[in-house]
Amino acid sequence: MSTSDGTVIGSTQIFGTAPLNRAFNVALLAEGFTAAQQADFNTACGNFVTAFRSTPPYDELSPAINIFRVNVSSTDSGADDPASAGGTGAVVRTYFDATFGANGIRRLLVCNTTTALQVAAAQVPQFTVAVVVVNSPIYGGSGGGVGTYSLASGATEIAIHEMGHTAYGLADEYPYYAGGNETGHDHHPSGEPTEPNVTTNTNRNTLKWRWAVSPTTAIPTMSNPDCSQVDTRPSPVPAGTVGLFEGAHYYHCGGFRPQYDCKMRNLGVPFCQICRQVIWNRISPLATMQARPQTPITVLARYPEHLDVFAIASNGRTMSNWWDQSSGWAGWFQVQGGISAPGGTGSPITAVARYAGHLDLFTVGTDNRVYSAWWDVSSGWHGWFSIGSLVCRSGATVNVVSRYSDHLDLFTTASDGRIMSTWWDVRTGWANWFQLQGGVAAPGATVTAIARYPFHLDVFTVGTDNRVYSVWWDDRSGWAQWFPIGSLLCRPNSTVNVVARFPDQLDLFTTASDGKIMSTWWNARGGWGSWFQVSGGVASPGSPVTAIARYSNHLDLFTIGTDNRIYRTWWHDTSGWAAWFNVSGGVGQSGGQVAALSRVTEHIDLFTVGSDGLVYSTWWDGATGWAGWFGLGIT
Amino acid sequence: MSDVSNSSQHLSIRLIFEYEGEDVRLVTQQPVDILTTGFDVTRTQREGYFVDTRDVSGRTLARVPARGAFQLGAEVFPEHPGEPITRVEAERPRGAFTVIVPVAADADHVSVVQVSPASSDAALPTTRATSQPSEAAQEREIARFPLQLSR
Repeated sequence: MSTSDGTVIGSTQIFGTAPLNRAFNVALLAEGFTAAQQADFNTACGNFVTAFRSTPPYDELSPAINIFRVNVSSTDSGADDPASAGGTGAVVRTYFDATFGANGIRRLLVCNTTTALQVAAAQVPQFTVAVVVVNSPIYGGSGGGVGTYSLASGATEIAIHEMGHTAYGLADEYPYYAGGNETGHDHHPSGEPTEPNVTTNTNRNTLKWRWAVSPTTAIPTMSNPDCSQVDTRPSPVPAGTVGLFEGAHYYHCGGFRPQYDCKMRNLGVPFCQICRQVIWNRISPLATMQARPQTPITVLARYPEHLDVFAIASNGRTMSNWWDQSSGWAGWFQVQGGISAPGGTGSPITAVARYAGHLDLFTVGTDNRVYSAWWDVSSGWHGWFSIGSLVCRSGATVNVVSRYSDHLDLFTTASDGRIMSTWWDVRTGWANWFQLQGGVAAPGATVTAIARYPFHLDVFTVGTDNRVYSVWWDDRSGWAQWFPIGSLLCRPNSTVNVVARFPDQLDLFTTASDGKIMSTWWNARGGWGSWFQVSGGVASPGSPVTAIARYSNHLDLFTIGTDNRIYRTWWHDTSGWAAWFNVSGGVGQSGGQVAALSRVTEHIDLFTVGSDGLVYSTWWDGATGWAGWFGLGIT
Repeated sequence: MSDVSNSSQHLSIRLIFEYEGEDVRLVTQQPVDILTTGFDVTRTQREGYFVDTRDVSGRTLARVPARGAFQLGAEVFPEHPGEPITRVEAERPRGAFTVIVPVAADADHVSVVQVSPASSDAALPTTRATSQPSEAAQEREIARFPLQLSR
């Protein structure tokens, strides 16, 4: 009973067309099928494909899924079925040595998982999960490193449930260990499980799946009145309601699941919304992402060997991708189920890293309220919660500044154009929103801010008369009054981007009403300069001008021109402004933005939405110059 | 816009481990042309079993979860709808698991590690605001294996 009891015949792809190296690849292995029974295995695999594809969310993820069958002939048919576990006593010679009756339980069907993994790796090197299909009408299966199931009716559900553990790290949501009559499982131990679909936390505001919970859903949604027993009452809420249902993770009480039922709780029912989201975020990064055409992209370097990128998908999903020098690009995933508001270019995700192991994200949701999510290296993602009850302009941007690591300042525009701010401090939490010195922004204008010192803020916007305005705050004197900067007339929806090359210098960049790319500066010795056009540049309607300062005497500017090409220029104190030039042939979207970051001095990373709606990136390195643009997905 | 490849190419390898209790054996190292998504590259210090690629100094270069490893029990599935799924303790945990790890140029070896929470109370922060950093998790190396791949 070993590999001498059969032969590996070969593999055949039976579903999917995704490139093997960027797909979720399922390998189905034949066990206990003789050479003459291979057609039966083929039929069983077809049945699996039907069951798998009809299970949400796999039905939506077909473009990134391949399924293979690996035909293996065994000397005998079926699997061992020990009489000691109530079986027939059959002993058969099969390749993977499958046997019912493990642990004395007939339905516990196991096999040699090492052999199964090795055969799968040899036949389908890129396999993601391996499943052994056992040629027996006796019901059985098991999980672990390899899923195993028999041909009995409904047994494919075992494979799909076990994949939930092996491929996605989902927890069991059932509220018992041995069917409910066990002892020692009345109360879940303290501590938060790491799995995404179970919790011990009953706080609505910190619940790990709070993004999916309606404000009108009670938390807990269902509590077990008698922890010595499993709660068998029907759900008090309509099917599909996401909330907090007591009884999960093998315990009658203290452990909670997101929905009343889920495939991780019972076979034969759909995955709950939270498990579906986890599966979606495992598989969808293998595919490309269509972005909102003009969505501003945010990029951060928490440390020089790492990038976090945030963008909004065409369907409004809040998406992120990250790059690490050691592992490449991770692929796009949805951040905590977030959907951002449409309107204008659509609300972007803005982000800040207060320290290297932490991210804070902000956007305006579909109800036009400001939402935040955060990620910490110690605990992962936590999202989204609303900050106050401010109602913003649909599509507004929330800009954020961290003057020091325990403090955040936010700036955005209310539905009536008022310029609003709030702050968070580690000692006091979130403050109330307040209107910033009576300021009102032009329709579509954003509010930008910079902290030249930890005790100083400079804020900029385009006012209702389409002129650039600024206001500043200093810890010693509080907020000053808004004042106009020159008489430049801007596009109403212009962004005023600002760079501080050193603490007593500001450089401003925006677009005039005719699209000219304009700049001015301020420094502590000479005050404000005059507006001037930068090297004759004109931006496409709605495109902002992105600026970074790699040195205190150097600026790099990026924008999308009237021909929708991506342009760069630079300024150096010894040579002045260079002419605009197209970066590596890049073409973006009219009104789109170019995000730029310098994570090390002689290096620039750029990001934009290309003409086909995909996010692209390129980089410049002092030693090698500009690279070609590449689609940002997974590498 | 042209779509040229990112210059930062990474090798991936599949590792197949066999275990009995906490005795782990690396039975297969196989280069594989597949992309590892961020879903499978761990960025947080969460508890569980993981496989690291490390450089010669022991610095972790990449970490992937070892799902399905060191299973202490097994699920028994009901034959009839509505009957409960149950679990049984394994007589002695044994089995196999596989991971695919990205291998940077300076990767020297792989380590199988267990990460435990810093304290028994790992509850989420209670404030609705952004979080404080918490204590570092405890990490234990279970086994170490040299990488034997030609690049």
